[in-house]
Parts: sequence; C-alpha cells; structure tokens
Amino acid sequence: MLSRVQRALAPRATAHAHCDIPCGVYDPQQARIEAESCYKIIQKYQESSDELFRTRCIHVKEERAELAKHHIDVMWHDYFKPEHLEKFADLHEVCWKAAKQASLVKRSLDIAEAQKLLDLIDKIDHMWRETGGPSSTRMQPMQPMQAAS
Amino acid sequence: MLLAALAPSWRRRVAVAGHSMEPLLKEGDWLLVDPGAYGDRRPHGGDLVVAHDPRDSRRLIVKRVLGVAQDGRLALAGDHPAHAHEADRIGAVDVEDVVGRPWLRYWPPHRFRLLTDRRD
Repeated sequence: MLSRVQRALAPRATAHAHCDIPCGVYDPQQARIEAESCYKIIQKYQESSDELFRTRCIHVKEERAELAKHHIDVMWHDYFKPEHLEKFADLHEVCWKAAKQASLVKRSLDIAEAQKLLDLIDKIDHMWRETGGPSSTRMQPMQPMQAAS
Repeated sequence: MLLAALAPSWRRRVAVAGHSMEPLLKEGDWLLVDPGAYGDRRPHGGDLVVAHDPRDSRRLIVKRVLGVAQDGRLALAGDHPAHAHEADRIGAVDVEDVVGRPWLRYWPPHRFRLLTDRRD
C-alpha cells in the first residue's frame, strides 16, 4: 500500500544538488554497494512469506536501485572523459546499459536482472581501474607516523 | 480550487539528488516547484530556484541565488559550506532558464515543511 502511494506521489524529474566543486572522488563501488543491496533484498523477498516484510523489501529495493542509477550516472557524466573512449570504444554503451538495468531492477523481482546489474557495474569498475581511477580519484590511506626509540 | 492552484507545482515536482543544498535539502527529498513564482518578479539573492544547468540544459539543478549580475543573470551556489564558492563552476544562469521556486518539501513525511529563505 505504501509503495503504491509513493509511486503516485513520486516526482518525474530530478533536480541535481550535486557536489559541483567537483571534489574529484569517483568510485564505482558506490554503485556496486547499492546493486548488491538490491540483489540481497530480492533474495530475502523470495525467501519470505511475510507480506509486510515483502512490502518493505520492494520499497527499500526501489530506493537502492535509484541510488545505484545515480552513482552510475555520476561515473558516466563526471568521471569518464573523451580520451577514455580511445581505450574503451563501448564506454557509453556500457554506462547506458547499466543505467537502464538499474531502472529495470528498480521495478523487477528477478534476481537474474539484479546479477546483470552487478556485471555491468563490474565492467564500469574495470574501465575506471584501467583509466587510472584508483590513483587519480581516491585518497590514499595515511601511513602511521614513525617513532624512533 | 486548492487542487487547481496546486496543479502547476504538482506537474513540476522534483526529487533532489546530491548534497550541496544540505541541511535544507537532502538527497531523496521531493519538492513542489512553483513555475510562476518568478513571473512578476525576478529572483534575487537568497531565493531558492530550480533551473536548467547552464553546462547541460537537459539537467535540472536546485540551488540558491548568490547574487544577480548587472546583466540580470544569476549566480547560483549550494548552501553547504563546502559549496560556497561554486558559482564560478556552475556559471551564470539566464533568468529564462529558471524553472521555478521550490516551495514545499513534501517527502519523506517526517521532513514535510514549507521552504522559506532559511537554510535549515
């Protein structure tokens, strides 16, 4: 019931209040975590016969799938640059398919579709790593200070 | 009659994505946007606006007006302290690209409230 009400109230458009600095931090793991959550939620939905729990599963899965799509869009529009196409000619197609798949997972309870989303995000992760993403977009952990004795 | 008055805002409702307008607007907030709010008067400093992103007109952005240039274009920025200097990054926005004024934060239910010039 709550899910139907929410769907009726939901906006059709998104207004971005993104970090427009830009801070330069990009990592497909943000999308993967949300996609893993969708996968696990679908598993738990299938395993449960509790209608209230299943309703909550649908509601939360929709939220996480939307977040996965958001993080995919950020990678696509903000991290990847024209020169990356020289190495990965199918970059746009992969990102587009991943975003479409996130939308599908949002409305589906088919675990195979959730796996497809994970596979597409892994392709994005591969492209991010091969284009120097980890070193250029993530802070490195600080080493502990040495104390001479 | 109330529904008829709300209809234009309802048609322009948006979901917030991103963190630059925190604490007032958080990721996932849903807003009603009045498309006629800036019909009789132009936006001025402190106003909330939803506008087409000058860097990509297919995208909508929700920001606060930082100031108005002499040519009438708007400088926009986020409320979050880390975003106080992003007006240069976004670029000046033509008033014609302003979609409207977000005036009600209606979802999630525990964050339901009218939006004013306050930043919290």
